[in-house]
Amino acid sequence: MDPRHLVSHAGWLTPNPPTDVEFVPASLKRAPMGVDALDTERLIVNMGPQHPSTHGVLRLLLELDGEEVVAAESVVGYLHRGIEKLAEHRRYNAVGTLMDRGDYTSGIFNELAFALAAEAIMAVEIPRRAQWLRVLLSELNRIASHLVWYGTFGLDTGAMGQFLYAVRDREQLLDILEDITGQRMMFNYVRPGGVVADITTTAEPKIRAFLATIDGYLDEHEALLGGNEIFQGRTRGVGVFERPMAAGFGLTGANLRASGLGFDVRKDRPYAAYEEMDFSVPLATEGDCYARYLVRMGELRQAVRIVRQCIDGLPEGEHTAKVPKVIRPPVGEAYAAVESPRGELGVHLISDGTENPYRMRYRPPALYALQAAEAILPGVLLADAVVILGSVDIVLGEIDR
Amino acid sequence: MRPDTAALARTLSAAGLKGIEIDDVPSLGVVIHASAAHARPVLSALKASDDGFEFLVDLFGIDTTEAVDVVYHLRSFARDEEVFVKVDLDYGSDLASVWDLFPAALMPERECAEMFGLTLSGHPNPKHLLLTEGSKPFLLKQHLIRTPEEVRNR
Repeated sequence: MDPRHLVSHAGWLTPNPPTDVEFVPASLKRAPMGVDALDTERLIVNMGPQHPSTHGVLRLLLELDGEEVVAAESVVGYLHRGIEKLAEHRRYNAVGTLMDRGDYTSGIFNELAFALAAEAIMAVEIPRRAQWLRVLLSELNRIASHLVWYGTFGLDTGAMGQFLYAVRDREQLLDILEDITGQRMMFNYVRPGGVVADITTTAEPKIRAFLATIDGYLDEHEALLGGNEIFQGRTRGVGVFERPMAAGFGLTGANLRASGLGFDVRKDRPYAAYEEMDFSVPLATEGDCYARYLVRMGELRQAVRIVRQCIDGLPEGEHTAKVPKVIRPPVGEAYAAVESPRGELGVHLISDGTENPYRMRYRPPALYALQAAEAILPGVLLADAVVILGSVDIVLGEIDR
Repeated sequence: MRPDTAALARTLSAAGLKGIEIDDVPSLGVVIHASAAHARPVLSALKASDDGFEFLVDLFGIDTTEAVDVVYHLRSFARDEEVFVKVDLDYGSDLASVWDLFPAALMPERECAEMFGLTLSGHPNPKHLLLTEGSKPFLLKQHLIRTPEEVRNR
């Protein structure tokens, strides 16, 4: 027998110490809302880590009183791959490969956040065409990502057909992204200095064909799901984040904007070519699941609007700045953020002047969304818990990193 | 974007916090350096001040090879400004939770404590977040992801 470890580093784990910590913090517990007057036996239910409604490998520990959630704790880490640690052992150009595996439904944003942070330390000027290509790819990726959310959110509320339509539209986008980057998911397209290759000649007609149909499809989506009385009944007034709570729990992106706080990194901390784009930021004040739905559907329209501007006005020029093959940024520290489909995705990067980052921190918007959702679960019905979790749009690859 | 360092110094001074070092780092922004004892009063003063740093953008650690720097990245929506608070902690020392000031710190504090081998106090649920209980502090520089033999033989 070979006693060596097969998967992990030798000496990776020490035996688990006994833990006497109560699984739900007492200070986060809320008294049951009293959905009914029956005093039933409490039941501990493990939802996930493979349950479809957990949107990845999330395990939700729920304490149920009948159908009512009395306490909830999310258990994460099943997908942890140590991206932050691995980045400290990779050259700057190779970190993008790791970043893609964070939020795997919107890889362009992860790569872009890292590239922006590295460029901030290097103080390098990026060609205008590269900036526009970054915006174009970002918004195409945003539509693809929002369509995944839209499809699966429908599933969470009991709908099915619209998921198939969402996949139909997303396929077109993945074909376009594959044409430009060579990959359908792990793009590895954005690099410090610009983008790795110029847009292909075959991509433009595909994007125009997509733009020709998408508006009609979005009308269809809104009628099919948003206009559905059952969907509205399942989402209106459910999972409300009041504005102070949304800010307190660190919500960003559509989740924050659905609670009336209009912070958008693209407008408030513009990066790439967003300052040159004409678009608006959808906002809602109700803070419930339906408001989050409305904001994201509005964002889909705005993303289409930006893609149109990009494809019509793509400037001529280089797709990358002159950066050395082996990047050695000067000693320095920078934080850069992008508006990913899930919110503010930030990278805090520290360079010690060598060819590897000294420290790379990945600010995961979905982690903050998850802990906020977890905090409002006690007191809701189990069926609503599924809807709330779907409405905040989490991706576990990003939470676990 | 960048708060006025003099105004920040006045805010901290008004809260009884004197001699706190404030830097303006060119590529990053305004950084407040606080000792472990001052961390909570500084964060509390920043949140309560007119500047309204109510939003915790992120919380994470850095192994400087001499200590662990815990970084609190705060934002004020009212003034559209950001500030970084850096707290020096000795290896294996105590990370006092600020979750009651910033509920957003709940999960990042757990992650920071486990990844840098800190003990977490005052937290309602101080378990490991990502790694199994008992695993080594993964993000410390001394914890190698390859053994010296593996590096030599690759």
